[in-house]
Amino acid sequence: MTKNLTDRATGVFLLLFAIWYGYQTTRFKVTFMVDPVGPKAFPVILAMLMAALSLYLIFKPDPSPIWPTSDTWLRIGLITLTFIAYAYLLVPIGFVLATTLEMTALALIFQGPLLRTVVGSLLFSLMLYGLFAVVLELSLPTGLIFRGLWG
Amino acid sequence: METLNLLLEGFAIALTPFNIFMAFVGTFIGTVVGMLPGIGPVNGVVVLIPLTYALGLPPESSLIMFAGIYYGSQYGNSISAILLNVPGTSSAVMTALEGNAMTRKGRAGPALAMSAIASFFGGTVSVVALMLFAPALAKWAIHFGPAEYFALMVFAFSTLSSLSGKNLIKGLIATLVGLMLATVGLDPVTAVDRYTFGQLKLLDGLDFVVVVIGFFAINEILRYAGEFKEDEGVIAKVGRVMITVKEFWFSLWTMIRGAVIGFFVGVLPGAGGTIASFVAYTTEQRLVDREGTFGQGDIRGVAAPESANNASANGAMIPLLTLGVPGSETTAVMLGALLGMNITPGPLFMAKNPDIFWSLVASMYVGNIFLLILNLPLVGVFVKILKVPGWFLMPAVVAVSFVAVYSVNNSPFDILLMAGFGLLGYMMYKTGFPLASVILGLVLGPLMENNLRRAMSLSDGDWTYLFSSPIAIGLWVAAAASLFLPVVIKRLSVVPSPKVEPA
Repeated sequence: MTKNLTDRATGVFLLLFAIWYGYQTTRFKVTFMVDPVGPKAFPVILAMLMAALSLYLIFKPDPSPIWPTSDTWLRIGLITLTFIAYAYLLVPIGFVLATTLEMTALALIFQGPLLRTVVGSLLFSLMLYGLFAVVLELSLPTGLIFRGLWG
Repeated sequence: METLNLLLEGFAIALTPFNIFMAFVGTFIGTVVGMLPGIGPVNGVVVLIPLTYALGLPPESSLIMFAGIYYGSQYGNSISAILLNVPGTSSAVMTALEGNAMTRKGRAGPALAMSAIASFFGGTVSVVALMLFAPALAKWAIHFGPAEYFALMVFAFSTLSSLSGKNLIKGLIATLVGLMLATVGLDPVTAVDRYTFGQLKLLDGLDFVVVVIGFFAINEILRYAGEFKEDEGVIAKVGRVMITVKEFWFSLWTMIRGAVIGFFVGVLPGAGGTIASFVAYTTEQRLVDREGTFGQGDIRGVAAPESANNASANGAMIPLLTLGVPGSETTAVMLGALLGMNITPGPLFMAKNPDIFWSLVASMYVGNIFLLILNLPLVGVFVKILKVPGWFLMPAVVAVSFVAVYSVNNSPFDILLMAGFGLLGYMMYKTGFPLASVILGLVLGPLMENNLRRAMSLSDGDWTYLFSSPIAIGLWVAAAASLFLPVVIKRLSVVPSPKVEPA
């Protein structure tokens, strides 16, 4: 039972998701119909197919995969946290600083050497900024904290 | 003669300095992303999409670059396969088997040279085939109505699902996930908002660039978190990258057969380079391996898969350009990019924009010559890139991904979304759901619903209309039959017994 628990659990989750997804169509505010089937038909078909296939997964599951060890999960969690931090820091501290921090944090998670990482990350971030923001004129945040410096 | 004239006009566009530059950029990036394990052509293409929009590049120039990344990656993927026994993309698995066996015999140079030459051979032969077959298919497909298109997409989904993963049902579920993601946002017909939950940012729908980067680049970083080793692989000495004339003639028929097999497998939705190279390798093993040298460093074992996987990349352009229905994740992403430029690939595209199609074909001749140069005399440059340690390379990939995701909407919200899809992609990868199916569903979803609703409008809501023409019925039958493809392929191809131990 436990050796194919992953697929069964996924199947149950997908079944619930399909029901929820299908139910949501009743809340579409359709005021006028332009075509015979309207905006609900396609999602309803998808929900029904998904429900049918999720039942298959529940009754004929594959063996469970080998899940990562707890320190891998820890690393995955830390990596995800750095992404969230990056999203919030990007505009305030600017692309170059945020990206240097991000790359350094990731390299440390992957057990890279500290000094070479910091220098390499800074150079790489500057290079990206130079290429995309300066040469190709894409808008990348310079950073609110630097606003005073350049006026 | 008409073809020749059109091709000459194509060359006139492809040989402008800017487009030559784009072909070079594409093939160079293609070689790099193909070579680096874990990063593939889909990453290369998707990261550049926001850039091509922001710079307002003309569609033909963008397409020349994207296609260059795609077929270029089929050259690059053999470099790491031969030197490290790690295929750069999955279509180089067979090359790794045979090419790394050559490396261990001290013949890395000839293996790399054979791979580049076979890639060039497969690449150029299949461009000729593309040039001859695509217009014919487009002429035929011009009669497709919404019912035929709907059935064609079902066919593409079922083939991809049955070929891309181990479990057909999981492939189909993954397709549905993609289609469901595609319904988020304003319904284009009635302007009703669906699955947005009051989030203004979701009204335009999920941007596929954000989803794809999350699924492929971020997922790859998370996978690396569980797989990285402190000692990086030792790269073998390359030596002289050349083969003898004798070796070339010895492999000529192998390359020809590889190119033909690769091209036709490539046209099939979902099959792609991995299956093409596998079929080509096993075919050669049956036909020419009389002394049982395959698997022990036989140069023909490198020639076959490399010719085939390059030919398949060009074959895969056919359904994308002539039908507007791609069969692989990379061509699906290219479709998304073209739609974003208001170019709709399909039979009308061939009639309305012959210049784009023919300049693309012409650029492929140019690009293959670039690739031959990059992969023969300049292969040393790429070997140096391969030496960049993972703890720096992976964060660098993340940094480039951030640039791309941010520049889609200039919104940090997309970075959160990307991280979320990265986690989802990782979980789906771990539980055996093919991500290529999700991407195909996501990109084709709006087209599929649109065709369904147009079909229903034409027939006044009669569902049997979907099965009313011979072409549509044929496609439905093909879709049903494709679900049995894995069984057929298993019967046809005897799995070659790898005589190598993993390095």
